[in-house]
Amino acid sequence: MKTKVRSSERQFALTKRRMEPVHVVSYWILVLLALVFTGNVFAADVAGDFSTANKFYAQGKFADAANAYEKILASGTASPNLLFNYGNAEFKSGNLGKAITAFRRAELLAPRDSEIRTNLNFVRNQVQGATVRESRWQNWLGNLSLNERAVFAAITFWLTFLLLAAKQLRPARAAKLKSVTWIFAALTIFSGTILGVQAANHFSRQTAVVISAQETARSGPFEDAQNAFAVHDGAELSVLDRRDDWVQVADSSGKSGWLNKSQVEILPGA
Amino acid sequence: MSRIIRHIFLIVAFLFLAATGLISQRARAATFTASLNRDTITLGETATLSLAFEGAQPKTVPTPDVPGLQIVNSGTSQNVSFINGAMSSTVTVTFSVMARQAGEFTIPGLSADVNGQQLSTPPLKLTVLKADAPPAAAIDSGNEIAFMKLSLSDKKVYVGQMLTAQLQVCLRDDVQDFGNFQFTSQPADGFTINKMAQGQNQREQIGNRIYTVIPLTFALTAIKTGTLSLGPFTASATLVVPSANDQGGDPFFRQFFNQGERKQIPLATGTLTAQSVPLPAENVPANFNGAVGDYQLTATAGPTNLTVGDPVTVRVMISGRGDLGSVTLPDQTALRDFKIFAPTSKVKYSDQLGMEGDKTFEEIVTPQNSDVHEWPRFSFSFFNPDDGQYHTLTEHAVPLLVKAAAATPMPAIAANKNSAPENQTPQDILPIKENIGLLAQPSTPLVARPVFLAAQAVPVLAFLAALIWRKRTDNLANNPRLRRQRAVAQLIASGMDDLKKLAAENKSDEFFALLFRLLQEQLGERLDCPASAITENVIDEHAVLRDAPQPMREALHELFQLCNLARYAPVRGTSELNSVAAQFEKVIHELQEVKA
Repeated sequence: MKTKVRSSERQFALTKRRMEPVHVVSYWILVLLALVFTGNVFAADVAGDFSTANKFYAQGKFADAANAYEKILASGTASPNLLFNYGNAEFKSGNLGKAITAFRRAELLAPRDSEIRTNLNFVRNQVQGATVRESRWQNWLGNLSLNERAVFAAITFWLTFLLLAAKQLRPARAAKLKSVTWIFAALTIFSGTILGVQAANHFSRQTAVVISAQETARSGPFEDAQNAFAVHDGAELSVLDRRDDWVQVADSSGKSGWLNKSQVEILPGA
Repeated sequence: MSRIIRHIFLIVAFLFLAATGLISQRARAATFTASLNRDTITLGETATLSLAFEGAQPKTVPTPDVPGLQIVNSGTSQNVSFINGAMSSTVTVTFSVMARQAGEFTIPGLSADVNGQQLSTPPLKLTVLKADAPPAAAIDSGNEIAFMKLSLSDKKVYVGQMLTAQLQVCLRDDVQDFGNFQFTSQPADGFTINKMAQGQNQREQIGNRIYTVIPLTFALTAIKTGTLSLGPFTASATLVVPSANDQGGDPFFRQFFNQGERKQIPLATGTLTAQSVPLPAENVPANFNGAVGDYQLTATAGPTNLTVGDPVTVRVMISGRGDLGSVTLPDQTALRDFKIFAPTSKVKYSDQLGMEGDKTFEEIVTPQNSDVHEWPRFSFSFFNPDDGQYHTLTEHAVPLLVKAAAATPMPAIAANKNSAPENQTPQDILPIKENIGLLAQPSTPLVARPVFLAAQAVPVLAFLAALIWRKRTDNLANNPRLRRQRAVAQLIASGMDDLKKLAAENKSDEFFALLFRLLQEQLGERLDCPASAITENVIDEHAVLRDAPQPMREALHELFQLCNLARYAPVRGTSELNSVAAQFEKVIHELQEVKA
């Protein structure tokens, strides 16, 4: 009986020792190291797969390369370079729509990358038929990603209000801060407006990119509906509506029709 | 007086009616009905299914699912009526019903939870008839008021060849008006239907009646080999025909006064087939890239006198009959002495069907060295389905005088706004990247994240805090009494600690000296006079204290007297001093409550 009591006391003592702050910190350091190590292993895996895909591409096995890049993307990770290479591989495999989709996704992550834009324009020039292109102001909006613009607007917003707060705390310096505050207030209004426009464009002006060879848009959201117009691989169309597995699209000439979701890839606006 | 009574009576009557209406509305049981606007339709036509909820709104609207029928929600409407004081509200949800095949369909009974009641509708039957072209005998007899005929220009076609189909809409001579013509289906297996053009109406004797014939021509492209089929095209139209009830009287007057009867009729054609054969495998030109039709070629290049790196604009015009939209330039990758930028193209059709016209390609090329002496001969091959042979058209080489240029920067080329940047090589896409770069997890944009939006409240709150602080500071600066009140409160708070300390140390003199000073300060602040001017007399003399509660005034007197006594009999015990301090604290709190 005594032994049992001693054993439980020791157990309690051990438990108490485990709860000491030093040990808790050590434990968390170990967890963090494990996470970092796992992340590194994951990154190493991705880099290895990427290198393998690049080798396929160099050997002219474009379809294999595209599959390998797609596998990395399916793991939930992406980078502008990965999407760029994937776009190249799809283009070389003859899939204009998938290539355009990849380049446009890459452009969303790296909006000022001239190489992505060059390849995107090159592929777009190969696409037949009417297609919807970004207007000049949409191109201008696309020079900064939505997140970059949000951060810029947030910085100007914070600075404006912090300057206003500083004016209250240090009234003696209010006169000196006045012009700076006005500049930041104007910047906040401007950047906020542009952010609003870009967010509206991003969320509401979606584009459907045709990813199959040649399709026919239907006049209604079902297979037996009459043909509305023909669309080609890579055609970029405005999304008007969605219903079940169907997407209503319009081309640059204003013709509208329904395409099955499997025939298109939906992209957000700039 | 009687006017007032009349008004009151009217108001009461109105309220009674309104209440009765509301009660009757509440009392009336909710109903749920389903109805079809037509119980028979032709394949390709649309029927409307209406679900009406009267008296209440359903929790969820049931959506019928019938195999073979496409049922799509087309809108909701609400109708509120107020009749004889009874209000009724009806919510109607409509669905478009289209059939995928002919046959008898049953839309099953639907159930909905309306106002806590489970309501159901009986099943509905819909008959879908196959759209058939009328038999020749019916047409010849003149019984058909309207019909459609479909014909193909060619029965044997090559894959990629363009051909036409003509659809004739025939209306009997007694049709007074014709409108709302809509195709309900245009099935085409192996064809793509391109542009459509309407021709001149004609009058034609068909059978034993005169018909007005409206010709519609479609351009088609054969896109696969084998047996291709076109049709049956189905359409619906609204016709106005002489009313069957008004056949008497003089025919001359009847044509003016018979208002006619409006009818919606389905129309259908038969199915046509054509044989599509592949292009011959023999004698295929090396640069043939799939162009089918009959074409001519014109090519120009200029300027011809230039230095290495200067742009030369090459214009290639392919004109003729065929699917110009799909015509592309032959492969030019063998031209290694030129850097070729991606071409632009423009198609101009000369007919309504888009079967004839010209396609102009414009490309910018730059000679890469001074050994270049000509833009080489340009060839374009196509297959002509009329003679069943391949043809190759060739334009002469264009001589170029290319001078060497030492490190001249390439001029900007603005011919193609969609082409790659000028300093890039648009002959092919840019090569892949060796490094994967910075990896990121695709995530929701910042503007859609609640944390980001909530963070924007921080500077606003900081500003508001600073603003409140500023207001309070300004308020204090502009109010000397408030300032004094706060200073005295602070002094009393610290003085209480000192009193307790002095009591503990049994320092009676210092204790009462401090007590007297604190009393002066607090009374001076309350009475708005200098602290040094405060004596025991102010308790009875000053108006503010005269109105104060008697126990407090007595306690103040006692404290002043204790202070005076202490000068003559200073020695007191710690406990006594502590009780004095407690009494002082109580009085001070009461004094602070006195309105100054």
